[in-house]
Amino acid sequence: MSPARVRGAAPSVALLAFALTVPLWQSDVFVLGLLFRVAIFAVVGIAWNLIGGYAGQLSLGHVTYFGLGGYGFTLCHRVLGIDMWLCLLLGGLIACLAALAIGSITFRLRGPYFVLSTIAAAEIVRIIALNAGFTRGAIGLLSPSLFANSAVDAKFYTSAVVLLALSVGFARWTHGSRFGYYLRAIRENEDTAMAVGIDPGRYKLLALLPSALLTAVAGGIYASFSQFVGPESILAIDLSVQAAVIAMLGGAATVWGPVVGSIVLTVSSEVFKAYFKEAHLLIYGSLLIMVVLFLPGGLVSLPARIGALVARGRHRA
Amino acid sequence: MGAILQAILTGLLTGGLYALIGMGLALVFGVMRVVNFAHGAFLMAGMYVAYFVATGLHVSPYAGFLLVMLVLFVLGLMTYALLIKHVMSASHSMQILLTAGVSYVLIGLAQLVFGADYRQLNLPIASQNDSIAGLTFNRAYVVSFLIAAGVSTTLYLVVARTEIGRAMRAVAQNRAVAGLMGIRVERVSAIAFAIGIACAGIGGALLLPVFYTYPTVGEPFQIRSFVIVVLGGMGSIEGAAVGGVLLGVAEGLTAYLWSDSYSQVVNFALFLLVLLVRPSGLFGRSAA
Repeated sequence: MSPARVRGAAPSVALLAFALTVPLWQSDVFVLGLLFRVAIFAVVGIAWNLIGGYAGQLSLGHVTYFGLGGYGFTLCHRVLGIDMWLCLLLGGLIACLAALAIGSITFRLRGPYFVLSTIAAAEIVRIIALNAGFTRGAIGLLSPSLFANSAVDAKFYTSAVVLLALSVGFARWTHGSRFGYYLRAIRENEDTAMAVGIDPGRYKLLALLPSALLTAVAGGIYASFSQFVGPESILAIDLSVQAAVIAMLGGAATVWGPVVGSIVLTVSSEVFKAYFKEAHLLIYGSLLIMVVLFLPGGLVSLPARIGALVARGRHRA
Repeated sequence: MGAILQAILTGLLTGGLYALIGMGLALVFGVMRVVNFAHGAFLMAGMYVAYFVATGLHVSPYAGFLLVMLVLFVLGLMTYALLIKHVMSASHSMQILLTAGVSYVLIGLAQLVFGADYRQLNLPIASQNDSIAGLTFNRAYVVSFLIAAGVSTTLYLVVARTEIGRAMRAVAQNRAVAGLMGIRVERVSAIAFAIGIACAGIGGALLLPVFYTYPTVGEPFQIRSFVIVVLGGMGSIEGAAVGGVLLGVAEGLTAYLWSDSYSQVVNFALFLLVLLVRPSGLFGRSAA
């Protein structure tokens, strides 16, 4: 790695290292639980961003991978009785197989047709989980806890931050790599990308695999944390929308956008739920509308836009 | 045999309502190329308006749907002018996120104002059945079906035969050229959007006598209308009408032959299959 790249990575490493120190001075269960969710959904946002941001394919079916990760983790432990961390990886593997199947069908379609097909695939998985015997339908399954004994919340938080660090690392690599440029080329114009020798189907699928894997591992840890998997809790379409909103709110096709998006969305919806109760959907929806209308580049584009405004102001004066 | 016929009949009657709801979504997609993720939420809004028209003004939904149509038409015009207009040239993703936001706002408002309770009209007609040739006809379903069929036919005639319908078809075919031909594209889009929303609202009003309403009631109908629009060929309102009836019958049959809970799986499998094999829909044309 060149010295410039090392220096470029320094702030990210410092930030993630700082995040790892939080349990040392913060032991409040509520705060750690909230930060755990922030980290988990940041991972989901980063994973979604690979497909939705860089490759520009608006997937509204990512909950499938989250849910398969959770169900895979839980069922592997119940049925095979093997090590839980292995179960977490197996959940990821199951999600990757599903991604291969779903991707090879849905990526043939473009634009709104693609969006609708991802919803259809996700709904098929949800309805099967809702009606099948081995998932115990709407009742759901109890998930084993990855950690026992003391400081469980701190350990969950730490494992989520480690996964987040891996995701940020992968996103950074994608952002600057040839692979990332291929994905952006597909987003800008699929036909032109094809004309210069990029196989869109292949690269979209290649982006979906790590995306599904990260989402599924996040789903597995989340299931273990909530000790429960059910079709409405980790397979509902709302979570798919949430993944997209987190990435777009923070900034699509940026490394840190989904992290910013997750901090803002997860914390604010927690606050909304506590203070405004039924109104939280209203505020959530208004936020979404405002981002689309006024801040299509996401929150990470805010400093640059304010900078431009200030510069214009100075220019006038 | 009788039971199968009954399942088909029940499917046909609900399919008539699905057709109307799907035609609304197809019109919006056809004319504006916007996938409206708030269609189900507007259907929910229609159900609540119909509920309060029925309980407050004592007007049955079978007459009250006209008022619902008016309210939802205005709501549609407002939504277009305030929000949709500004993303007409944005990417599909942005349009979808915006309408998803509208959907959340409407559902959130309903939760805030009406609470999460189920509300139902107990019309006597909903429990009156007629028997003809061994088949049972529920009167509420039959009346809703007939009104839905009437409204759908009117919509079809408006799009196919009137001047504004011609303008809509022109905009659907080519926005830029339609503008050059002197069609006021913005106004036509606004009207098409508002008509689409009004269709969802009327569908909601007609569902109310045989169903109940709650803030998220629109979600399954939202997904059904996507299926219908894809079946019929995106943007084709005649296709959507046929797609709606087909979906109703398919649901009725799966519920009878297999199980009620899996009828949705059949929907989505059908949906993916059509998208893959015939993305232009079962009837292959894509004019509005």
